[in-house]
Amino acid sequence: MIELAPRHKFGLPIASPVMPAAGAFGYGDTYHDLVDLRVLGALVTNPMSLTPREAARGRRIAIHGEHFVAHTGLPNPGVRRVLQQYRQTWERLPIPVIVHLIATTPAETAQAAERLSGVPNVVGIELGVVDNVTPQRALNLLDAARADGDLPVIVRVPFTGVDALAPLLADHGADALTLTAPPRAVLPASDAPEDSEARRYLRGRLYGPALFPLLLNVLARWCSKLPVPVIACGGIASLQDATACLELGATALQVDALLWRDPLILQRIAEGLAKFETSTISE
Amino acid sequence: MVKQQDAVFRQAYPAPPYWVARFDVANPPAPGAFVLADLGGPLRQALFPATIDADGFTVMLPPHHPATRLLPGATVNVLGPLGQGFRIDGVTRLLLVAEIASLPPLLPLLEAAPAVALVIEAPTRAQLPPPDRFPPAVELTLVTRDGSAGHLGPLESQDPAPANLERVMPRLVELIAWAECACFACPNDRYPALAAIVRAARVQPAPDFAQALVQVPMPCGVGACEVCRTQTRATAQTQGGEKHACIDGPVFDMLLL
Repeated sequence: MIELAPRHKFGLPIASPVMPAAGAFGYGDTYHDLVDLRVLGALVTNPMSLTPREAARGRRIAIHGEHFVAHTGLPNPGVRRVLQQYRQTWERLPIPVIVHLIATTPAETAQAAERLSGVPNVVGIELGVVDNVTPQRALNLLDAARADGDLPVIVRVPFTGVDALAPLLADHGADALTLTAPPRAVLPASDAPEDSEARRYLRGRLYGPALFPLLLNVLARWCSKLPVPVIACGGIASLQDATACLELGATALQVDALLWRDPLILQRIAEGLAKFETSTISE
Repeated sequence: MVKQQDAVFRQAYPAPPYWVARFDVANPPAPGAFVLADLGGPLRQALFPATIDADGFTVMLPPHHPATRLLPGATVNVLGPLGQGFRIDGVTRLLLVAEIASLPPLLPLLEAAPAVALVIEAPTRAQLPPPDRFPPAVELTLVTRDGSAGHLGPLESQDPAPANLERVMPRLVELIAWAECACFACPNDRYPALAAIVRAARVQPAPDFAQALVQVPMPCGVGACEVCRTQTRATAQTQGGEKHACIDGPVFDMLLL
């Protein structure tokens, strides 16, 4: 077993280092026909907030070469409705569930974390913070997530905030860190009408293969310096990519929006790593 | 149940203003439903059938679409069939309304009812397909935005027509009153105005009387990515709110959009 929260009283053990990234795999009921969930370490849910959020208006995706920008507005029906709808699904899943919580305000974060405590098979919270969060605000949100709940808290660190936030959060009690959230980017929305600047360009989260070398740079720089497990996330597209992340010190990894094109990539990476581990042990 | 399957690309040829591409596949999508094809690029692309048979389907695509560059015999991984298509069981008088760029997903319905009327709107005459491409039994109404052929558009306009031109609106209202079911394929922002025309032409239309194909990117096809969320209204029978076009649609009751 791989321990994602060695400092937490309950820990967060997972059987495989491979997980879907938040926002890529739904709430557990979407890809079960295609992907053998048993080979994964955990389900990381789509982002959810205490209160419902609606989808962003207008265009939500723009493609440029092998990359794309997505801006969904993180729509979700709120923690209460999600639990009503998916509690039983999660209980029946063969893998543990890590809930990705959108950290809005400390009060809301605390309330949402409390609601998630004791939900069967939910073993941890991944806290998503906004890109421009200040270090103090990030610490307040982490404190709030840990205050009334008893689940391990992983913080997904913004791409531009790793240097400022990662060591601080690790020292302040984060059980693990996800490095990193997809960076913000702007792409031309090629088929949008040309009558407004806002409609001609789309700002959102960037996905694509260029994120992978940037991820390796972050891992090479930070994994050995951080006292908590690191979960690698960003542009991982193959078994070789996953192996590189683990070799650079990541404890686990998340596959992001690439799995929309190739849902079986998760399974291939997990099975490949398991095979590699078995052959290494037998040697 | 979502499945991956291999489709075999057979051929592509121009049929202005589209290109037609033929795929052989074991389980083709129903009219209005789709498959997500891996044609290269970072995301899969939705393919809506323009004709369907037991061995596969054809799609009509814009020129330069990646599918038109495939080599005959190439295998394409597709996800699906996905989504909820048009619901026209038992309909005897079917009205189809489309803007030219959105017409292909309606084409499998041309012979789906004993009486079919088709309204096609294009910017100008040159962009209209030749009438002889449609089955003779289909009652065709052509509309151009510049009045160069057929009725004068746009479909929703009630402005007085210039001399020698005839607005399409009265004809559209007449066809909506005639039909048992109307299927629309237009850009999404036109549906509220078209829904208003339906409400004006029919007293309390039945659920699904007017069905609209919502055109939004659907990257995952299974409701995971939240990109295709579409706002719908609640009624006494249905719960409104945001729905996933990829699993709850992409065909919705137009009066609920």
